[in-house]
Amino acid sequence: MIKEHELDKLIICKKCHTLHEKVKLENKTKAYCSECNVLLYQQDHDMIERTLALVITASISLFVAFNFNIININIQGLEQSLTLSSLFVVILEHEQYVVGLLFLFIIVIFPIGILFATFLLLFLMKVGKAAYLSKRLLILLAHLKPWNMVDIFFISLLVAMVKLFDIANIELGVAFVAFIFTLILDIIITKNLSFHDLWAIHSKIYGQIDEE
Amino acid sequence: MKNEHYIRCHICETVNYDNSITHNCRRCHSKINPSLHASYNRTLALLITAIILYIPANLYPILSTKQFGTNSDSTILGGIIHLWELGSYPVAIIILVASVVVPLLKFLLIIYLLIAAKYKTHSTLLDKHKIFYITESIGPWSMVDVFVVIILSVLIHFSGVQIYPGTGATAFALMVFFTMLSALSFDTRLIINYEKGNNVHAS
Ligand SMILES: [Zn+2]
Ligand SMILES: [Zn+2]
Repeated sequence: MIKEHELDKLIICKKCHTLHEKVKLENKTKAYCSECNVLLYQQDHDMIERTLALVITASISLFVAFNFNIININIQGLEQSLTLSSLFVVILEHEQYVVGLLFLFIIVIFPIGILFATFLLLFLMKVGKAAYLSKRLLILLAHLKPWNMVDIFFISLLVAMVKLFDIANIELGVAFVAFIFTLILDIIITKNLSFHDLWAIHSKIYGQIDEE
Repeated sequence: MKNEHYIRCHICETVNYDNSITHNCRRCHSKINPSLHASYNRTLALLITAIILYIPANLYPILSTKQFGTNSDSTILGGIIHLWELGSYPVAIIILVASVVVPLLKFLLIIYLLIAAKYKTHSTLLDKHKIFYITESIGPWSMVDVFVVIILSVLIHFSGVQIYPGTGATAFALMVFFTMLSALSFDTRLIINYEKGNNVHAS
């Protein structure tokens, strides 16, 4: 049986589950799995500051995406626009409660929750306070992560637009641009942040904490 | 290095020593599935629920069009065929992949992993880990059609013409939900289980 701190020197690849022994990295370098080339961990001193800035920008742009017109269509003089609130009004009008509820969670609550939790976590880690809370946030984020579907919603938007192309004039709204912006930021944030690195930084900042 | 004696916590990704008794992750204290048997059964039960839901998802209309008093319904397959006939090949292919190929593929992959946890198969440990990784990553993509129907029902919402989501959309959304839960409850230790010689029934 190996001691606990020895285990910290090991890492298991998320894709192929190969066990690797970690090596110390220079700043701004990354380690990849030798079997399947997946990024294992990286060393980056100003990751928190940079990601924090990205998260704040993403929050503003998500706010715009949720509050303005996504697209407007015009069919022979009849106009209609798509906003997040009109989505829920129509879902309720058609009495699609199950779909509405799922939609509320995966498009609104979880994406906002993820951004807010990431912001709070990075902020706490930056100031080095509230070790227990930031640990809970890390666990919460891991649970929320698979349920974020803003990217799929955007693809669906494109599909819907192609379907309407022949019968309607489509005009892109402010929120459409904001959606693209949010998605790009989201991809950069996810690329920057791995749970493995966050936990490593967490234990470096707060030291080993035992609440038991 | 052999990794039979180590497990990766699915929440915080840390390496734990696998001592085969009920315990919690040493870092985040998440439960490291106390019983592989329970994980196996839960995955199977959720998968069966998802497969059952897939039937009404295909039989009932996912979308209905009300045009000056007359109703016309369209199922997932019907919609794809209609798009193909209209010549919208890219959209037809996207919907086909998202609504038919991805869910079926996911069912098959989880079934395969469950079989491989009990019986000897030809694939190696590495293959099985990669299969599970794929199963997890393609997860929510099947939601595309449901989202499209909802977006269309908001935009085509006039007094004369209306599009609205049908029962199929609810069944389909629930199907995706249960498939994702099924994949999430699959414990990766089930993959290495057969190799270790103590398959699910023996323990
Ligand atoms: Zn790997
Ligand atoms: Zn853990």
